[in-house]
Amino acid sequence: MTSSKFRVRRVAVLGAGVMGAQIAAHCANANVPVVLFDLAAKEGDPDGIVKKALDGLKKLEPAPLASTERLAHIEIANYDRDLARLGDCDLVIEAIAERMDWKQALYAKVAPHLRAGAIFASNTSGLSINALADGCPDSLRSHFCGVHFFNPPRYMSLVELIPSRSTDGALLDRLETFLVTTLGKSVVRALDTPNFVANRVGVFSMLAAMHHTERLGLGFDEVDALTGPAIGRPKSATYRTADVVGLDTLLHVVATMTDHLPDDPWHRYYKAPAWLAALVERGVLGQKTRAGVFRKDGKQIKVLDLATQDYRDADAVIAPEVAALLAERDPAIQLAALRASAHPQAQFLWSIYRDVFHYVAVHLADVAHSARDIDFAMRWGFGWKVGPFETWQGAGWQQVAGWLNEDIAAGRTMSDVPLPAWVFERAGVHEAAGSWSASSGTLEARSALPVHGRQLFPELVLGESARASHTIWENDEVRLWTLDDADGERAPVLSFKSRMSAIGPKVLDGTREAIARAERDFDALVIWQPQGPFSVGANLKQIGKVLEAGDFKALDRVIDDFQQTSMAIKYAQVPVIAAVQNMALGGGCEFVMHSPRAVAALESYIGLVEAGVGLIPAGGGCKEFAIRCARAAEASATKDVMNFLQPVFQTIAMATVSRSARHAQELGLLKADDVVVMHAGELLHVARCNALAMADSAWRPALRATGIPVAGRNGIATLEMMLVNMREGGQISAHDYRVARAAAVALCGGEIETGAKVSEQWLLEVERAQFIELLKTPETQARIAHMMETGKPLRN
Amino acid sequence: MNRQIQDAYVVAAKRTAVARKGGAFRHVRPDDMLAHVLRGVVEAVPAFDRNEIGDVVVGCAMPEAEQGMNVARIGLLLAGLPVSVPGVTVNRFCASGLNAIADAAIKVMTGQCHVAIGAGTESMTAMPTMMGNKLSINPRAFESAEHVAIAYGMGLTAEKVAQQYKVSREDQDAFALASHHKALAAIAAGRFRDEVLPYTVRTHLPDLDSNTVRIAERVFDTDEGPRRDSSPEAMAKLRPVFAARGSVTAGNSSQMSDGAAAVLLMSEDAVKRTGAVPIARFRSFAVAGVPPEIMGIGPVEAIPRALKLAGMQQADIDWVELNEAFAAQALAVIRTLGLDPAKVNPLGGAIALGHPLGATGAIRAATIIAAMQRGEARTGMVTMCIGTGMGAAGIFERV
Repeated sequence: MTSSKFRVRRVAVLGAGVMGAQIAAHCANANVPVVLFDLAAKEGDPDGIVKKALDGLKKLEPAPLASTERLAHIEIANYDRDLARLGDCDLVIEAIAERMDWKQALYAKVAPHLRAGAIFASNTSGLSINALADGCPDSLRSHFCGVHFFNPPRYMSLVELIPSRSTDGALLDRLETFLVTTLGKSVVRALDTPNFVANRVGVFSMLAAMHHTERLGLGFDEVDALTGPAIGRPKSATYRTADVVGLDTLLHVVATMTDHLPDDPWHRYYKAPAWLAALVERGVLGQKTRAGVFRKDGKQIKVLDLATQDYRDADAVIAPEVAALLAERDPAIQLAALRASAHPQAQFLWSIYRDVFHYVAVHLADVAHSARDIDFAMRWGFGWKVGPFETWQGAGWQQVAGWLNEDIAAGRTMSDVPLPAWVFERAGVHEAAGSWSASSGTLEARSALPVHGRQLFPELVLGESARASHTIWENDEVRLWTLDDADGERAPVLSFKSRMSAIGPKVLDGTREAIARAERDFDALVIWQPQGPFSVGANLKQIGKVLEAGDFKALDRVIDDFQQTSMAIKYAQVPVIAAVQNMALGGGCEFVMHSPRAVAALESYIGLVEAGVGLIPAGGGCKEFAIRCARAAEASATKDVMNFLQPVFQTIAMATVSRSARHAQELGLLKADDVVVMHAGELLHVARCNALAMADSAWRPALRATGIPVAGRNGIATLEMMLVNMREGGQISAHDYRVARAAAVALCGGEIETGAKVSEQWLLEVERAQFIELLKTPETQARIAHMMETGKPLRN
Repeated sequence: MNRQIQDAYVVAAKRTAVARKGGAFRHVRPDDMLAHVLRGVVEAVPAFDRNEIGDVVVGCAMPEAEQGMNVARIGLLLAGLPVSVPGVTVNRFCASGLNAIADAAIKVMTGQCHVAIGAGTESMTAMPTMMGNKLSINPRAFESAEHVAIAYGMGLTAEKVAQQYKVSREDQDAFALASHHKALAAIAAGRFRDEVLPYTVRTHLPDLDSNTVRIAERVFDTDEGPRRDSSPEAMAKLRPVFAARGSVTAGNSSQMSDGAAAVLLMSEDAVKRTGAVPIARFRSFAVAGVPPEIMGIGPVEAIPRALKLAGMQQADIDWVELNEAFAAQALAVIRTLGLDPAKVNPLGGAIALGHPLGATGAIRAATIIAAMQRGEARTGMVTMCIGTGMGAAGIFERV
């Protein structure tokens, strides 16, 4: 019987190269069992190739694994011994080298072992999906498609989904659903054209940058200064991206365009500049060979200088007059000014914008279903904040089209191909009703696939507006609001308005007020931030101000407020769900810890980082850990609370921040039954589902913790033993010692007898007293001041 | 019974090979290792009435969990000794095994019994940390500077010794490397063969493919610690573990290990009655205290005391087994006392051979007894430093 639901019991990844191993790692991150295949090694351990790849996953940065423990969920296999194991897999992703003959030989070999109905997909970035499908055994063809991940697959949200002529459409929908919700990726449906969407535009954009670099005589470091965050693109900008990707890989992708796009109006630019080919020839391939366009010399970053054919210090900056133009907020004014300026840097920026606009306008019809797909592909696959069509439309569609036309006519553009006629017939490509599809000549609405309904606030392109919500109550720093839907009537959302969602007195007041209102008028409350981190913690500036006044009584009241807010979250009469993504630090982490259930995106970086500014968690963080450790010890065979306190103490003393939500669970910063969400866009949906499920399950707040046995004096001494050794060994400073000891005192419930039983309020008083004592020390004050000035911790 | 002071003779001394922590003895319990060596020493001499064994004294530095419950008594019962034979576990940290031999010898010397066994056993694999299952230090240690060194880890004390006695990183590394070279040469020449009792390790592990229990047997008879791949470059690359700008590394410190050893002692009367062949006479044992923060220097105080008790001079000792807790402290002891380096650890030491804390004293005594049996030494001394600041030394003399 065919199931109406698509269940991925297990995934197989064929090929344990850089991409294959990382895709397998990401499946493991998502709790999807995965079998990673490669060739049986000719010598030694037949699993040697895969084992080496798994070993590599532990060392790779940024980490492909959400925690090293995830490795255990990747099964090791080789083609000689384990093909039968493909029978358990509902999705098979092929990620071997980009050779048509190798791929087709492999397909023939694995086809007899595949489960009926399993999806078979290739992670090719350059080969034609139709050509691959043509070489597929007949039984496989309708279940075959392209699924193109971007490197590093854990962090790059884009996956391009490419059907062949024979791919079953329902299967694509199933795969897209899996990719979005289960793996947390953002999908663009691409056409089977060379390099698909993102690389087609992205690589052209790099080639255009290279062309104009040479034409205007700019340095590579100068171009990277111009094409990074200054224009809303990643820090690695143009040339460092090339180094990271690998100069040889880049050439390979360019070669695909050279070979397969002979009639393209920009074909003459589809070749590597001579200097780049020369580098690759010499084996200078970028990051993996420790030298490329850039090279690190100790701490100094050097850049290749074409004039001298040698490396020099990379120190180029954006010229002040160009920086002034970039500071202009109105894109229409900015683009006009760049175009008008004679400064080579401005000319460069205008040129790369213009030629990419030209390129995407001409190619929209043949490379993408709609302008939205190109904009999203560049945002999700290349980390651009704004896609090329959005930039164009934002600056005034017809205005810019006119400039383009002038430049084309004047022979300033890289190609003289005219803009397509539709460009002049429209006021833009993005409208509320949809985005322009040049191939169909219509506005294409967003995908109606149900999975996308789980994103209550999906990423928008210019011209789209977010779903309506209304404010229930607000103050200067928080907003209590709700969506106008059935769930919204029951579970409102609390969001912080402060920068980086920092927590100051008005956030504390507002949170308690929101809880009171939720208890009065609703069934649940979700704390969720529409953008940015969950919270970077207490607002140091506000603490700094009170500190300057030396008013420790007032500080004590603020901390008490903090603690009582955490307690209000924990013991509210309705479930208060913390919906976490990105950073939840310090006080933000303490709110999460007090939430009866947290729902966290995989990319959550959670930690009690107070030690960095010479403080300890005092919003109930130490208290909460003291209780949890006491409870865990009671349930353990030896009843020894120190087994549980030791690792927690280290987490606090070293200000450890989790590398993912799963890692946070291992650290105890998230509870084992907190929920991990793979797609951050689904966070609010999942949080509301949890909130309402709890409410509907006749949920009650936790009973007040009483009779908590503490580790006391003996516990403090045992932790202090570690500190003494580190201090005497010169591994920590005297003030580090003092801060860590304060954390030990708070975690152990104060200098009282071991096993003495205390209340929750007792523990709060102990941590608050330790916090205030630290605050009085000049070293902690210096740390706070330094952090406010530089954003970096001071070691003193 | 003769209550005069009389000689105590070593008639047998046996040890297991020493395994790395988590190595060959990973699934072998310390009480089983002990039973194995106890059986080994009583079976090494002509048959005698086992009821004559007046006591089995066993050293163990962390006598808890798998090696708790008075491991001496458990081990001797598992060894098949009669229920009439008593057993006691003694703890003087790293000197426990030597202390146990001394205690057993003194029972014989003072005529409390004619036969006694001194032994040691330690599984560092079985202990979750160096300091056992539960570390709990007295808070008073931190109340004054006077007692804070109670809290010092051993590695930190080695750093203090290195500083105070000016032992360079280079010297420590060279010493450590020499230990490996000597141990490898000794193994190649079969010089541990007489003292080591091979242990047949039988493991029951699940075969997850066939869902059956796979029983494997392996005879373990060669010390696992010595490294063939060590080199001056590899040693120099290791980072200091215990101090930011220190010199003590994993490479120039002793290894964590598992092992056991036993020494059978008899009075002259018992030797005559049983026909056992005396190998060595137990001459003396001494312990002394030193500041806890430089505990590694302990032998400097203990050795002269043991020599004095034996009525001997340093030069009278042919063979010194100086436990290499750390190269830093071993070198400081050698230099301070002016020990002849050629006589110290000729077959390597704990840096290469391993240091199963409370067993080490008995293990190295077995090494000296075997050397005496081969005629390679007339007199021998086992000595070591002890955590929280002590030293111990015991002297044996060939019969």
